[in-house]
Amino acid sequence: MTRSHTPWFLLIVALALAAVYLFPLYWMYVTSLKTGSEMFANPPTFWPRDPNPGIFAEVWGRRTMPTFLTNSVLIAGGVTAITVILGTGCAYVLARYRNVWIDIGLFCVLMLQVLPASVMVTPLFVGFNQVGMLNYPRTAVVLAAAAKAMPFFVVLVRATFMSVPRELEEAALVDGNSRIGAFFSIVLPLARNGILVCAILTFMTAFGEYIYSKSIIQSPSLQPASVGLSGFLGPNSTDWSSIMAYSAIYVTPILLAFVILQRRIVSGLTSGALK
Amino acid sequence: MSRISNWLRDGVGFDILLVGAALLFLVALAGAPLVYNVLMSFQQVDMFTLGSLIRPFVGFDNYIAVVRQPEFWLVTRNTLVFVFGSMTGQFVLGFALALFFAQNFPGASTIRGLFLVSWVMPGLVVGAIWSWILAGDFGVLNVILKSLGIIQSNIFWKSDPNFSIWAVIIANIWLGLAFNMLLLSVGLAAIPRDLYEAAELDGANAFQRFWTITLPMMRSTIGAVLSLGLIGTLQQFDLFPALTEGGPANTSNVAGFWSWQLSFQLYDFAKGATVSVMMFLLVLFASVIYVRSTRHEVRG
Amino acid sequence: MQFTKHGLLAGLAFGALMAASPAYAQVTLKVWSIDGVDRPGIADTFSKEFDDANDDIVVEYRAIPFDEIVNETLRAFATGNAPDIVSFDNPDFALFSSRGAMLDITDRVANSEIIGKADYFEGPLNSVTWDGKLFGLPKYTDTIGIFYNKDMFEAAGLTEPPTTWDQVAEYAEKLTDPANNVYGVTFSARAGEEGTFQFLPIIQMSGGNADKVNTEGAARVLDIWKSLIDNGYASRDVLSLGQWDSTGVFNSGNAAMAISGPWEIDRMVEDAQFDWGVALLPTIEEGGERSSALGGFNWGIMANTQHPDEAFRLLEFFVDQEDRIFPEFGNLPARGDIELPITGEAKKDDALKVFQEMLQYAQPRGPHPEWQRISKAIYDAEQQALTGQMPAMDALNQAQATIDTIFNQ
Repeated sequence: MTRSHTPWFLLIVALALAAVYLFPLYWMYVTSLKTGSEMFANPPTFWPRDPNPGIFAEVWGRRTMPTFLTNSVLIAGGVTAITVILGTGCAYVLARYRNVWIDIGLFCVLMLQVLPASVMVTPLFVGFNQVGMLNYPRTAVVLAAAAKAMPFFVVLVRATFMSVPRELEEAALVDGNSRIGAFFSIVLPLARNGILVCAILTFMTAFGEYIYSKSIIQSPSLQPASVGLSGFLGPNSTDWSSIMAYSAIYVTPILLAFVILQRRIVSGLTSGALK
Repeated sequence: MSRISNWLRDGVGFDILLVGAALLFLVALAGAPLVYNVLMSFQQVDMFTLGSLIRPFVGFDNYIAVVRQPEFWLVTRNTLVFVFGSMTGQFVLGFALALFFAQNFPGASTIRGLFLVSWVMPGLVVGAIWSWILAGDFGVLNVILKSLGIIQSNIFWKSDPNFSIWAVIIANIWLGLAFNMLLLSVGLAAIPRDLYEAAELDGANAFQRFWTITLPMMRSTIGAVLSLGLIGTLQQFDLFPALTEGGPANTSNVAGFWSWQLSFQLYDFAKGATVSVMMFLLVLFASVIYVRSTRHEVRG
Repeated sequence: MQFTKHGLLAGLAFGALMAASPAYAQVTLKVWSIDGVDRPGIADTFSKEFDDANDDIVVEYRAIPFDEIVNETLRAFATGNAPDIVSFDNPDFALFSSRGAMLDITDRVANSEIIGKADYFEGPLNSVTWDGKLFGLPKYTDTIGIFYNKDMFEAAGLTEPPTTWDQVAEYAEKLTDPANNVYGVTFSARAGEEGTFQFLPIIQMSGGNADKVNTEGAARVLDIWKSLIDNGYASRDVLSLGQWDSTGVFNSGNAAMAISGPWEIDRMVEDAQFDWGVALLPTIEEGGERSSALGGFNWGIMANTQHPDEAFRLLEFFVDQEDRIFPEFGNLPARGDIELPITGEAKKDDALKVFQEMLQYAQPRGPHPEWQRISKAIYDAEQQALTGQMPAMDALNQAQATIDTIFNQ
């Protein structure tokens, strides 16, 4: 194989890998089009015998999808805002020094992420009830989910700050900038890409937040789309085609945004701060 | 007054303010629930006292009771297999993919972007899809393996005690792969190109370059990936109810699911909390490793 | 001056009273159930109707997913946010009634002109009774039987559905057709409540119950089931399939018999491209003791309600509407005095007759406050036996040891 062919060969391999990896996504779309019992047919059908595209409109109409999706966006937006505002500064300081206090700080941040959300939700519910936060359920979910997202964000953004050369900040300080000035005018702009990408990842994770929302938010008009999904599970029945159609409606827009924006997202993360 | 504001703007106060705000927030919303759980593991809990902190203390009774459960050692073993299997798979495959996509070819970053799909799919859906893929009779995986001639008869991934934990591991590797690949890609991209060029001039082959440059330079990234991966793996929940519910006969039950099952299915809150505290000790261990790995970081 | 001041005050007080009175007289009742998340159900429809019909009572309805309702209620109860009326799956009811979390309505029911305790089937009524007192009312009920594919039976030269488990095994062998991916029988032995739901009736047929699970008969049927799996007459995946998915295999023509309940009928009418029927759940011996699973939900008023009288009025309204729950929502009333209307769909009407008969034999799970722990011991034992990790009797003995500690606490 000549050298000039290698890139195209790699492209084919990459496409094959992506096809294998994305198979579950394909299966989600195909299953949404199948009838209730065809999905249990043996051997499995790779394309529905009698596709039913009307299911998407039906599910959209049966559930208040616009309300659910708006709530998901609001919650994910709130979580991202709090995480970025509090997490960025924390990550910056944890990257700036190298001593035992920093070790302790990092350690605390990680340890506070240990318990699964399902275990945290009861104490949080009790606590929110004590301070009256249950009357503002969406805000309560935003706070709880931000605490869950923060350690992840801090660890990742800290790595970004590590790649900002210390000398640039010191030069700015020598030039008469205050710490706060150097932080905002030199360090932040240099780490912007990494922060942005981590913020997007945080947003995407928070978009699917489920465990806190389902317990804390009682009114259906305030619930996010992830909670709406569980309504298809009955005591003895599960409406699989609707579940798949619902999640297709919910995943596809994010997927499209992703394909359109991905060049910026992935290259923002991988190009490093200074390239 | 201005001294304080100066200290905040220009001194250590600035650092303390930044870290303090985040830590305070975390202590209130993640630390307090942690304390509640640790406390609960030493108490007798029922539905009437779920909302208060003052409950009868029982010492280590809950711990003793948990260890005496017939499934305790099986669950411990499964947890270790699950964590080790998932993390190895995610990390090795993720690293391989990251190296692959670091090559220069058309569409590399676009296709890499597609891998992040597993981040946005709802857990319930991921579980359900894998449940079909892994089904013994109508599962796609068996159809593919059979047509490739790898297996002769169907493997009942979810129902055979020898495979059930691996069924969950396979699905979990799929879920965590994107995360591993992305972080490792970031780490790879941060390694200066000229190091490789110099090594190539010195006659180092690809394997030597990987061993002497890539791995050491990525130490802190690997530390972050592994410790976050461990936490993520221990917290993995969605796949269990969808695939096996820990069965058959607990052969795929792990600490995280067991803790949930005890608390929210059997309503034995104290034992559930006890198992979660035991898990906490495991993560404590992992965090120490992570923090130590940051010791050797090089700053760009 | 003095006079006007008094007059003013009186006027103010009167005005305040006037303004306050509608709000004062209005009582708010919170109702929680799993209905109405996806399609209209019993609780949401009737709550709304009652709310519209009564100006003095406001009903706030909240739908909660099936998996969550017990945990949500426990959490709410502990923090003082509990609803007035709640609806639980029947085995979960004793968790609340045994601890005094539900209101004792024995006397209210006895004095009610709308509710007749004698109308209810015995099984459902047992599940809302604790210590001889009535803490709730059955909402609707369910049970299981055996569905069979008549076309496949005919092709195999069989005319009647099986009546004993030995016959199930014998027929399954004849009906299995690996070339066409057809299993003889399918059921659910999943690691969860569904596994217990289908296996407990076997224990009950053999003379046991939740407190006595290690019976000879139960071990024998487990051995039959294990041989079905080992011989390939039933899929090994019965250990991980839920009932809905397991019956999906039957509907797609990949299994000739299926253990399941009346909730399957509508989907089967639509999806199954063959002739099918239902029979009573097989017994251990010919003409032996019958039993079947008891499904369905219960209503209860929570003990901490501020408005027990209004809540009971709402409960009476729910009961009064019970002749509508089958035609409108497809749920079976837990009462013998309500005739099911003919739907005109022959297979459906026949199946419903069988399930109506089966209901007389349906026995509750428990009632016991620690039901879920008992249930886990039972389905764990079932799975240990079916996977061959333990001989059936040893597995049942181990479950019995766990269950003894629960009962002797």
